[in-house]
Amino acid sequence: MIENFLTGTATLFGDPFTIGVFVFGVLGGMLFGAIPGVSMLTLAAILLPFTADLTASQGVMLFAVIYCTGTYGGAITAILFNIPGAPENAPTAFDGYPMTRKGLAGKAVGAAVLCSAIGGLASALVMMGATEPLAQWAIMNIGPPEIFALVFFGLAVASSVGGRTIWKGWLSVLLGLIIATIGQDPVGGINRYNFGFTDLAAGIAFVPAILGFFAVSEIFVQAEKRVGGTYSAPVFNVDFPSFYELWAHKFAVVRSIFVGFFCGILPGIGATLAAFMGYGEAVRWSKNKEDFGNGKLEGVISSETANNAATGAAMIPLLALGLPGGALTAMMVAVFQMHDLEPGPLVFYNSPDLIWVVFAAMFYANLSILFIGLIETKTILYLLKIPFQFLAPMILMLASIGAYIGRGLVLDVIVMFVAGIAGFLLRRSGYSIPGIVLGLILGKIGEQNFAQGMQMVHYDLVTYFSRPICTILIIAGVLTLLKSLYSAFYAQTFKSQG
Amino acid sequence: MGNHRSSDVIEVVFWLALAIIFFAVSFEFNQPIEIYKFGATGWPRVILFLTAVVAIGNFYQAYKKGAVAHKGRVGALDEADAVHYKSFSQYLQTGWLLILPLIYAISLKPVGFYCSTPFFIALIMVAWGERRASFILYNTLIIYGLLLLLFMIVLNAPLPQGNVSPFYDVSASILRAKTQLGQLF
Repeated sequence: MIENFLTGTATLFGDPFTIGVFVFGVLGGMLFGAIPGVSMLTLAAILLPFTADLTASQGVMLFAVIYCTGTYGGAITAILFNIPGAPENAPTAFDGYPMTRKGLAGKAVGAAVLCSAIGGLASALVMMGATEPLAQWAIMNIGPPEIFALVFFGLAVASSVGGRTIWKGWLSVLLGLIIATIGQDPVGGINRYNFGFTDLAAGIAFVPAILGFFAVSEIFVQAEKRVGGTYSAPVFNVDFPSFYELWAHKFAVVRSIFVGFFCGILPGIGATLAAFMGYGEAVRWSKNKEDFGNGKLEGVISSETANNAATGAAMIPLLALGLPGGALTAMMVAVFQMHDLEPGPLVFYNSPDLIWVVFAAMFYANLSILFIGLIETKTILYLLKIPFQFLAPMILMLASIGAYIGRGLVLDVIVMFVAGIAGFLLRRSGYSIPGIVLGLILGKIGEQNFAQGMQMVHYDLVTYFSRPICTILIIAGVLTLLKSLYSAFYAQTFKSQG
Repeated sequence: MGNHRSSDVIEVVFWLALAIIFFAVSFEFNQPIEIYKFGATGWPRVILFLTAVVAIGNFYQAYKKGAVAHKGRVGALDEADAVHYKSFSQYLQTGWLLILPLIYAISLKPVGFYCSTPFFIALIMVAWGERRASFILYNTLIIYGLLLLLFMIVLNAPLPQGNVSPFYDVSASILRAKTQLGQLF
């Protein structure tokens, strides 16, 4: 492994052009992740056609680096503006944004930098050592029933922590699942709910919906505060967390690495569920559950460690099985195909150079988060000083372009603004936007894997539940739902409002 | 009488209407799939059923306990942070802020990005309460210039050009100027 890693490193840094591609990926991912309104996906969508001019290893490496640094970069906007750069940064905003409002932005961003780097590095190391055996294990033990069970568990966790009440948390996730049913059904390809728009046959694209629900709705919330005279600019602060503050959360970091890696390794799941599960587990194990959502450093640490821990793990199903774990890894499949390659087990034998250049690049990209991220953070915090009447149109414009570029459809820009209005109204009524987005992302994956699982076991539930991992996850999900239902009905956990 | 508010009634009506409408529309694609017993409608209908049940649960809680929030929950706007409107003009102002971007989005196809964007940027600033003409002008130019620099020149991203004259012609001339500029360097 060490020899291969050194070979990968030598290939990566032995060619000036490859170094240039690496540096561009690192800076581009961080920058696009940290600009409110666009994300690493916007950059990746723009760059996709240009990768045809690169070699296969440069192209895949570029996207892998953008994935690592962009996942971190998205935390910045989540913390500073309550606008997650990507869905995997949504739980970061739960506590990161309240910290900004309390004048603790520097601490939140500092923790995000460090934990993203730790999570990413740990994940990269495990990925290098264990891709092949883990892929073998996944092939043997993880099938559609297990993936459906994990989706169910993830949605149960998201609905149990999001929204003003448990009911609103569930309704948020269910709305996401309803939106995910728009477009062709994943089994028979039958058009559903396209209401006469042919462009809707492909479904609601994630990027416009996510931009609308997160970025546009947040702009509307701030605008409304301005109208109502309650708007206050975020407090500027560059104090980083101390070593002792971070050391106090070492168990949260280790737990989130495991959670993130486990979620990342499962095909189709990706870093989003990892971040939610990392956050959910932090809440579950905490003695002061009520502090979450009010600016608790552990919330930022858990979410950011888990989502970056998933980046390395997400490469395992992609490289070993050819199954992408999210939007960006799906674009990586396109990069492979542009160069007449197919990701899968054979890529380890046919293109070992490519694999190790990518592994080395991801390791160094995570390392660079630590160094460049700290420098960048000090600079990026000055965004808080920009007047919002300048920042708001800028964010709306960037979001419009980000929504349009993915598929080149004006409909996607309209969808984004409609999602923004819906998000604004739903947030006002106490619904959870991250819950909606998670439902939207996991809806189709859940349906597809449920259908495949049912076909596998010939609709026999006894056979379905004879699979131990599947059963454990389903039981865990049901218990999570029951516990939150118990809290809603019996436990004295209400706070008066209004 | 229960402890619920009128907004709770609106919410339950909304969710039930959504579930009923989507259920009714599901008959349009209620075709059997040979390889899958539950067909294309099985999954959506289960979700719609759950939505209706949870919506009733949501209303039941509001009816019994009124405006309460569970402790330790995240991801939603706190009711304490919500803006309380004092006049009808504030409603109008917020309504305009919500509708304006939608008008921009709808105008993108006929008018195109290059022609509609500067007006939209300026209008957003006005809608945000900015009244200094020089601030609006300079910042519109800065934002528009930055967007063109990043997406048109650096990243060469394809943006909507519009399909109605003279907007299409203006967009085409901007793109021609960009090409000529590229040839110079």
